[in-house]
Amino acid sequence: MNVLGELALWIALPVALLGAILGFVAGHRQRGDLQLGAERSVYAVFGLTILASAGIISNFLYDRFEYTYTYSYSNRELATWYKIAGLWSGQRGSLLFWLLFLMLFASIAVWTNRRKNREFMPYVVGTLSTIASFFLVVLLFADVNPYLKLGFTPPNGAGLNPQLQSYWMTIHPPMLYMGFTSFTVPFAFAIAALLSGRLDSRWINITRRWILLSWFFLAIGIVLGMRWAYEELGWGGYWFWDPVENASMLPWLAATAFLHSIQIQESRGMLKVWNMALVLFTFTLTIFATFLTRSGLIESVHSFAQELKIAYIFLAFMSFIVGSGIVLIMWRLPKLKSENQIESFLSRESAFMFNNLILLGILFAVLWGTLFPLISEGVTGTKITVGPPFFNRVNIPIGLILLALTGIGPVIAWRRASKQNIKKNFTLPVGIGLGVMAALFAVGVRPFEEAEGVRVFSQSHAYALATFGIASFVMSVIVIEFFKGTRARARIENEPWPIAFLHLIERNRRRWGGYVVHAGIVVMFAGWAGSSFNVNIRQTLQVGESAVIPSPLGHDYKLTYEGMSTTAATAANANSNLAFQLVALLRVEKDGKVQDNLTTEKRGYIAQDQPTTEVGIDSSFLEDLYVILSDVPNMRGAVQNEPGAQTATFTFLVNPLVGWVWYGGLFIAIGGLIGLWPTLTGAGEPARTPTVAAARPRRPVPAGAAGD
Amino acid sequence: MPKNARFLVGLVAVAGVVTYLIVTGLTDTMQYYLTPSELVAKVDADPTVHDMGVKVGARIVPGSYVKTAAGVHTFTVEDPEKLTVTMPVEYEGDLPDTFNDQADMIVDAVLDGHYRNDGVFVATTVLTKCGSRYEASPEAIKQG
Repeated sequence: MNVLGELALWIALPVALLGAILGFVAGHRQRGDLQLGAERSVYAVFGLTILASAGIISNFLYDRFEYTYTYSYSNRELATWYKIAGLWSGQRGSLLFWLLFLMLFASIAVWTNRRKNREFMPYVVGTLSTIASFFLVVLLFADVNPYLKLGFTPPNGAGLNPQLQSYWMTIHPPMLYMGFTSFTVPFAFAIAALLSGRLDSRWINITRRWILLSWFFLAIGIVLGMRWAYEELGWGGYWFWDPVENASMLPWLAATAFLHSIQIQESRGMLKVWNMALVLFTFTLTIFATFLTRSGLIESVHSFAQELKIAYIFLAFMSFIVGSGIVLIMWRLPKLKSENQIESFLSRESAFMFNNLILLGILFAVLWGTLFPLISEGVTGTKITVGPPFFNRVNIPIGLILLALTGIGPVIAWRRASKQNIKKNFTLPVGIGLGVMAALFAVGVRPFEEAEGVRVFSQSHAYALATFGIASFVMSVIVIEFFKGTRARARIENEPWPIAFLHLIERNRRRWGGYVVHAGIVVMFAGWAGSSFNVNIRQTLQVGESAVIPSPLGHDYKLTYEGMSTTAATAANANSNLAFQLVALLRVEKDGKVQDNLTTEKRGYIAQDQPTTEVGIDSSFLEDLYVILSDVPNMRGAVQNEPGAQTATFTFLVNPLVGWVWYGGLFIAIGGLIGLWPTLTGAGEPARTPTVAAARPRRPVPAGAAGD
Repeated sequence: MPKNARFLVGLVAVAGVVTYLIVTGLTDTMQYYLTPSELVAKVDADPTVHDMGVKVGARIVPGSYVKTAAGVHTFTVEDPEKLTVTMPVEYEGDLPDTFNDQADMIVDAVLDGHYRNDGVFVATTVLTKCGSRYEASPEAIKQG
């Protein structure tokens, strides 16, 4: 299997190159026979990549430590599931994993379109094969071949970093990779549109679902990563503005902008150049994300070791993409003329353009902050960095404007909004937003902090209050839209409300799914705002002692350290990687009422010298109580269960609304699925619903379900 | 295009606000990111750097970690390139799980803090790059 896998990798490169050449020639000369060959080469490369990946997995499962990659990320004791996940645990394997997804999506795209869109397909296959060839070149020639051998066979592997031995970590990278790689399909169709000269909205109609799919996977991947950081990294937060985190966010922001701007092209025939530029930019950012993670050029706690060779190859490829993309767009510029113009500042087009501008503003700020060390070193010779304070300072105000636009965009009329349109749609939601702010102010959410009797203005509290107000405004807009739409349908079709509600969503899943995603974003913003009221107290306790932790919601937690249990390596866990486990037990009382106990642990792993920390989290709807076993001064004694060695230092956190970040993520996932779900067969639907938006006429389209 | 004038003003205004936020954000929050040898050179040239918050990227010297009776973590870091430059570090707080000073591990750390007049770096945060992400060379594996 391993020999076959390595061989497959070598065969895949010429096949992919052949596919690229055949595809472009077939497109240029309009040769169907060559095109057939090109399409088959895509399936062939996919098959070969499966073989190569299976070989790597078998290396892990059969403990073949003579391979550098297997040695570095596994050992005999590792659980089978993590051995399979070994394919994407490290640099070498994850590049192959990336290629595997790329070829999976390429094959699906080629297969589903093989009898349609003939004018595009040769170029699509050519573009996809070119990108596949690039990743194969990297795998084979940039010192990252996962089949590299050590030259001898060590008795056991070095083991997998315990922090990566987490359920979240095994599904977070695949989600991100699927998001990154699936965006290659819209990019390939965009290139095909440019090359073939068919520059109407056709390429967007074909790839709309792919764009949404990519966006969806990225969103899920990012939220899973946050969740992993929250549970596993043990500092109580979930986002650190680390370069690698930023790298995953950049294409997501660009894809979000793109998802909105294509709607303007579809309904108004505008922004054609912009959309071409945006698809090119988004795709480049997906490559850039890999580049940033893999090159190690930017200091990051997540990145793989610095590899200059790979950095240059990636830089060259990105320049090639951007350069040829710009040339193609310039060449086709006369055919990319806008069919309409912006008519009014107060219109949906305008709101969408501001949405795009602001998303790109955030993107640019994040990109600039991420690359700043590199830029400053290049310009001044000294590395200068910016950290979370920079990103928060810039992105919170811009983000709040974006949040407000989320409420304005969907209900403001196309072309030109009348005063009545604005008054009718916004009076109630704005009132609700202001009302929520006033109510919160009344119960004590105020833009200042009191320290020793002195009132100090608190910017973060002010932002939080503003966020709650704007979030309530947007949520009201969304709820009212659902209400109006359901009511209208219930009346017209004479259906009961719940059925009318479901049918409403089903008839235009793209629109209502989008609103559900918006609702998720709103909930998430509220969750972020909650973090400005976080409580953080560190205390050393003997067994029997208690700590009292005040929650910002007004109640107190009393945590009593009941004792510490220890499990040394025994026969019972001889087959696991665990060397020892110290579990501190805490009794929790909330205003005197006994809650479930919390535990927090230190774990030692075989083949890893440093113990890891497992936090204890008591989640509720409004806040999390988060306990970290920060330090056990006499750890050896505690493991041996010596009397008096159980003294421990705990960090107690109260994180208000943190759960809302995950609920928001859930909404986003549901909304994305509503938009993505294949049209149900036999549901009594005439034709295919997704064409509703495409068929949307050029006449003025009234805003809202009820119209104007 | 008077019809578009308000729209264009809006666009320019948004672009202006974003630029303003980025520029002021940068000037207010940026920090030097230096290796120990660069920090030492910088302090020699300009003593006020002692009072500045700086970031230091350095390698942890194997075997240098000691925890004082007062619970302060002390260890030494070295310059990854100029191996002669070392710098003692003091840190009160929780070390990340991946912090390690074992002989067979290369652990790079990013320290936030300031360089005290007595030549000790007082860290307020310590981040480490996960050691296992580095693939050991075949020679190192044989010796280990």
